[in-house]
Amino acid sequence: MDWFYIQGILMLAGINLIAVLGLSLLTGFTGLFSFGHAGFMAIGAYIGALMTVSPTTTPAGLGLPFFVGVIAGGLGAGIVSYFIGRITLNLKGDYFCIATLGFGEAIRLILNNVQIFGGSRGWPGVPYKSTLPAIILVDVVAVLFLANLVRSRHGRNMVAVREEELAAQITGINVFKYKMIALVISAVYAGVAGVFFAHYMTFLQPKMFSLTKSTELTIIVIFGGLGSISGSVLGALILTALPEVLRAFEIWRLVFYGAAVILIMISRPKGLMGGMELSPGGIRKARAERKARLEAQREMKQAQEGEIRNA
Amino acid sequence: MAQFLQQLINGLSIGSVYALMAVGYSLVYSIMNFSNFAHGGVIMLGAYFGFFALTILKFPFVPSFLVATLGTTALAILVERIAYKPLRERKAPFLYFIISAMGASILLENIVIATIGPTFRTYPQIFDRSPITWGPLAIGRLDLLMFFISAFCLIALILFIEKTRIGKAIQAAAYNIKACALMGVNTDRIILIVFGLGGFLAGVAGVFFGMKYTVYPQIGNITTKSFIAAVFGGLGSLPGAVLGSVILGTLETLVAGYLSSQYRDLIAFVILIGVLIFRPSGIMGRSMEDKA
Amino acid sequence: MPEILRISRLTKRFGGLAAVNDVSFSVPEGAIVGLIGPNGAGKTTIFNLVTGVYSLTDGQVEFGGLNIAGLPAYKIADLGITRTFQNIRLFKNLTVFENVLTACHRSASYSILESILRLPRFRQEEKNITRKAEELLSIMGLSDRRDLVANNLPYGMQRRLEIVRALALDPKLLLLDEPAAGMNPDETEQLMRMISKIRDDFKLSILVIEHHMDLIMGVCERIVVLNFGVKLAEGNPEQISNDPKVIEAYLGVAEGEANA
Repeated sequence: MDWFYIQGILMLAGINLIAVLGLSLLTGFTGLFSFGHAGFMAIGAYIGALMTVSPTTTPAGLGLPFFVGVIAGGLGAGIVSYFIGRITLNLKGDYFCIATLGFGEAIRLILNNVQIFGGSRGWPGVPYKSTLPAIILVDVVAVLFLANLVRSRHGRNMVAVREEELAAQITGINVFKYKMIALVISAVYAGVAGVFFAHYMTFLQPKMFSLTKSTELTIIVIFGGLGSISGSVLGALILTALPEVLRAFEIWRLVFYGAAVILIMISRPKGLMGGMELSPGGIRKARAERKARLEAQREMKQAQEGEIRNA
Repeated sequence: MAQFLQQLINGLSIGSVYALMAVGYSLVYSIMNFSNFAHGGVIMLGAYFGFFALTILKFPFVPSFLVATLGTTALAILVERIAYKPLRERKAPFLYFIISAMGASILLENIVIATIGPTFRTYPQIFDRSPITWGPLAIGRLDLLMFFISAFCLIALILFIEKTRIGKAIQAAAYNIKACALMGVNTDRIILIVFGLGGFLAGVAGVFFGMKYTVYPQIGNITTKSFIAAVFGGLGSLPGAVLGSVILGTLETLVAGYLSSQYRDLIAFVILIGVLIFRPSGIMGRSMEDKA
Repeated sequence: MPEILRISRLTKRFGGLAAVNDVSFSVPEGAIVGLIGPNGAGKTTIFNLVTGVYSLTDGQVEFGGLNIAGLPAYKIADLGITRTFQNIRLFKNLTVFENVLTACHRSASYSILESILRLPRFRQEEKNITRKAEELLSIMGLSDRRDLVANNLPYGMQRRLEIVRALALDPKLLLLDEPAAGMNPDETEQLMRMISKIRDDFKLSILVIEHHMDLIMGVCERIVVLNFGVKLAEGNPEQISNDPKVIEAYLGVAEGEANA
């Protein structure tokens, strides 16, 4: 395997990771499941490409620098998600899931009919701008921002919403607001990922952003473990790289995904990391929790033995 | 006017297939309160079962039809046993069910791609292609058969649920499954029957769909639309699922006929979004206000 | 004594059924008031109406002179009313400490940007609320369970943690929904002392729903009796225990239950 090939895999994994991190905030920390994030990626990809494509290849192209595309793509996805959130975040149960599925598919179908972007035939001529260092830089920044956010009162409020909505409300947490914040941030992440994706593929087609792509992102988050950033990172790396390395099995990749999801759900719903973090603080916390649990169990046992002796 | 009536007829025939698919979603939702996305995969395999029974096994139509429907009945039950039963036993939150369902859906679709291949396959011609005409109106023999068998299956299903003891138990379970279990109803068996019924109808829908169009693994786009029809009618309500499907099928053909076939697929999602905004419980669904 | 909470002509109908019908009473500032009545009398519904979990059909809820009817639940909590639940609702997968720390969020004011960039105000306020959460745990005797996941706590301690979490919001009025449910007589005794102590130490008013008559008679200065959604009686413990209407509707049954 040559470096060029490995680099390609790393870039794809890094791009996926940006989107997965955002989804991790929404799904892993706030407890909202989305089957439409490929739609936000699509919005980012198309807006980003619109900014950078030279006017000579596509009349609508603006020929602006890449970083403008990244910012515009992220913002665009964020703004759209805000309006979608206004409508859907009050829905109960799996109706939010269904709504995101509907919006994700609707975005794809609309793009299929937008002729200036080539419709369903696709849009070639997006400049190749995504470099591995740039992707790694964005990944690092994305992880840092997310880690800082979840370890703050705002992040804790989101986790409270995930854990017990009613209790969160009577604890003075504006549930709707925090769901919205999580949704918008996750959409911005997905949008940025879309921009990098567009400038890596140099060709865009609506069907790249299908329901399957959305599901794949959600699966990576679940595989890594809900509520764990390091789990999402590992999940994105493993699940993007593994099938690429095992090229011969490419056709079985999604079979493996599907089976893995069912297996995780029925056997180890906590995923790879089970809500733990691979960081000094995270390990300390996990050890403290374990110690407290063992202590509580020992006390309980002693108390029981005492009762038996008394009886 | 004649053109409108013609579109209406076409719409009803596609709507009736949607209905067969949609009631499967609604049946499971009414008992278990989650969207069983694996249902689409079961429908797709139903189309393949029928196709292979006709082409490789060279069975006549009726036995092939039986192979397909019994196959999907077994498959739906198998999916329940593997992907949902362990979750039920653990009393897992409903989101786990949806994710497991998504997993099963991806698994089914891609097993087919990996083993049978992604190519489109056309059913051998069974019925005379020449339509039956009545004045300016024409209806395909297949469409007519499709409509009558769908209607027959749906009426039989509703009678089964309204009139039989098992049907009464299903209704009771839909109302409150925990109380049912406490009253000594074997809820595990009820769930099995519900998945079996949904699976059977999935087979019927799969075969007709394959005969009318073609068979291919990503049939999911169509089943997603039938799911939307179920949401539109009100998830958990069988008459709602039928009504939603007929309306969706008719609207689609009207849009394709009068506007552009490009927008046909979009209609479903416009309806979905409209329903979620204005009436999330659907046209005939139960109210969603829950008690704390 | 000024009133902290005044409920007037409160009504809630579910469909045609009135769960609470034209109920009026008030909680004096600094008092412990008991809300009693047979099952289905509408006690928890009143809690849900006061805390904004349900929207009311008719009537008024005044808190510190302010009409709070119709406000969303989180705003009512912001104003200073918080509660516990009959069926405990903790953040189950978080540790004891995290449960309390989350509820301390009102004592900090840094923005999302400040937390992402770890600016000075973030550090300062995080330090303060960490200290606050630890103090609360130590006052309420949960310090040695600090790192235990809430779900693994023994039942009685889960109830106590729910009260600590409520106190972290610095409420002016605390609503306790059957705090002694599932407790043995020893634990109930402890709880009684704790309720009085909380009132004195945290300078708040308490409205408590309870079936244990010992607890109600022991700690409440005033008692409101509900039956079938309407107020049956109101008074001090002595008046209530001698009220023939109450004895007929409620106390007789409760004693029977207690003996059983």
